[in-house]
Amino acid sequence: MKASTIRTYQTVHTWTGLLAGFALFVAFYAGALTVFHNDIATWQNPPWRSAADAGVPVHTLIDRLTATQPAAKDNFGIVLPTDASHAAYAFWQDKDDERFASASQLHAPRAEAGENELADFIYALHDSLGLPVIGLTLMGIVSVLYGLALVSGFLMHLPQLVSSLFAIRAGRNLKRLWQDAHNAIGVISLPFHIIFSITGALFCLLGLTLATLNTVAFDGKLYSAFAQATQTTPTITASGTPAVMLSPEVLLERARATALTLGVTTFEPDYMHFVHYGDYNAVAEVRGLSQHTLGTFGTIVLSARDGRVLRTFAGDAYSLNGISYAALYGLHFGSFGGRTVQWLYFILGLAGAFLFYSGNLLWIESRRKRRHLDQPQRTRVMARATIGVFLGTCLGISGAFAATWIAVRLGADAGLPQRITCYGLFLAACVYACIRPIAKATVELLMATAALTIVVAVADLISNAGAFAQAWTPLTPSVLGVDLTGIALSIVFACFARATARRARTGNAHSVWALPAAS
Amino acid sequence: MIARCLAGALLGFPLAATLIALSLRLLPHGGAAFLIPAMILFFPLWIALMAGTYMFRSGARAWMVLGLANAAAFLVLWATRSAGFP
Repeated sequence: MKASTIRTYQTVHTWTGLLAGFALFVAFYAGALTVFHNDIATWQNPPWRSAADAGVPVHTLIDRLTATQPAAKDNFGIVLPTDASHAAYAFWQDKDDERFASASQLHAPRAEAGENELADFIYALHDSLGLPVIGLTLMGIVSVLYGLALVSGFLMHLPQLVSSLFAIRAGRNLKRLWQDAHNAIGVISLPFHIIFSITGALFCLLGLTLATLNTVAFDGKLYSAFAQATQTTPTITASGTPAVMLSPEVLLERARATALTLGVTTFEPDYMHFVHYGDYNAVAEVRGLSQHTLGTFGTIVLSARDGRVLRTFAGDAYSLNGISYAALYGLHFGSFGGRTVQWLYFILGLAGAFLFYSGNLLWIESRRKRRHLDQPQRTRVMARATIGVFLGTCLGISGAFAATWIAVRLGADAGLPQRITCYGLFLAACVYACIRPIAKATVELLMATAALTIVVAVADLISNAGAFAQAWTPLTPSVLGVDLTGIALSIVFACFARATARRARTGNAHSVWALPAAS
Repeated sequence: MIARCLAGALLGFPLAATLIALSLRLLPHGGAAFLIPAMILFFPLWIALMAGTYMFRSGARAWMVLGLANAAAFLVLWATRSAGFP
């Protein structure tokens, strides 16, 4: 490649990286935590402090739903609880509005799935920065820019890729060390990043893409073809003859048994969908999570009246379309290989967040004026924005954990406190980063995050000590795991703070990261 | 630089869309069995076209070549439909 072409890709990489990097840091940090979505849910409501309606059997929920919301009978879903201390909830469409309710909320259903769930809030930060409506589209565009940054970054390093991939040149030239770390992480985890760029763009922009492609290139036939390739529900009409339905517990068991005959080793149902409930032709779909297969999510379609298996979408019965659609979810969420893959995704997710952080640092460092005490305005602005947004995200998410912990113990709804604390701390961190000397703000924000994280984790450990000692349930390791991970992360933050403070004191004085000389 | 960015983003999108539609159309049954893999390939293809556009010497050249490629792709798409492909 010509030198000028490489320079062009360098510019493309810089600008796409800068544009997308801020949002990607949030997506990766919150996304790494989202890998442990169910464990965070268990942390909020451990077995010894169950959520409302936990333990209400699914058939009771369905009986109450059909009695209080008869219109929902034609089409509703049941989201099965992630663990024994959570409640199953129903999901249906009321005209154009989505409705959610657990057994005791059916008279006043919610408009949001998990408004008090910390795990769901962190997921919302991950997929849309927590912004309603535009957030998802924005993150879709970010995913495309991210893809472009990956390709251009790869191309610009191609000439010296093999020779310097494993070179980590630790020495006096700090910029070289950061550059080596950035390149090594970027190249080694490239397959992982390609997965996120593609699946992220697809998940966020699916509606828009289908609509555009449908008109541009598919003569209006794409919607029906797509539905045919992905839909599991057969088209049925209600007979008008009422019939007695099998209990959901029987249907779940039959679906599990059927899936296991299709070659999957596990099948844990997490969602049920009913069409024309109470009718002779009623259909029940059971979706379940299977491990060690690309088709992570399988679906078994049964007659809700007699349990006949109507269609199967799992294991050997998957079509190419079905398995690639299911693989998108498995690969994005890392749900295909048990704890090992979850930890791998967690670590790679944090490494990804570091990639964007180090990318911004490189931008600043390569525009540094040598032997000038006064650094240009743009590098100072970028440094302030980087620490404000990046460290503000970490601080805000730790704050959401703290707010949830306190709200649950006061018996209050956790939804609003979570959001106020998270966004409040984020904005406060941004303001703080704008007004404090840069080096001081960085150290102090890192220390604040470390302190808040360890306080919540230790407080939770102490308050749960009695429960840990009394009865060891299969869910106890989840709670313990979240707390210990919190402690580990706070130690990492403290180490970063220490390194930053040392650099500010003893590093090159001609840098935005140096403490201003006392004058 | 900006001209090539826009050419890649604006002309790369319909080109990727028609290339995918075209390859599906040439498969048996309109490629119904390969629809989802083809959809998954859409974003990588669009991104590859955007990245490839920077190889052009100038913005004007990028617009011209991609414009011609689009015209050709749409023409072939239209021709295959007239020829009775589903």
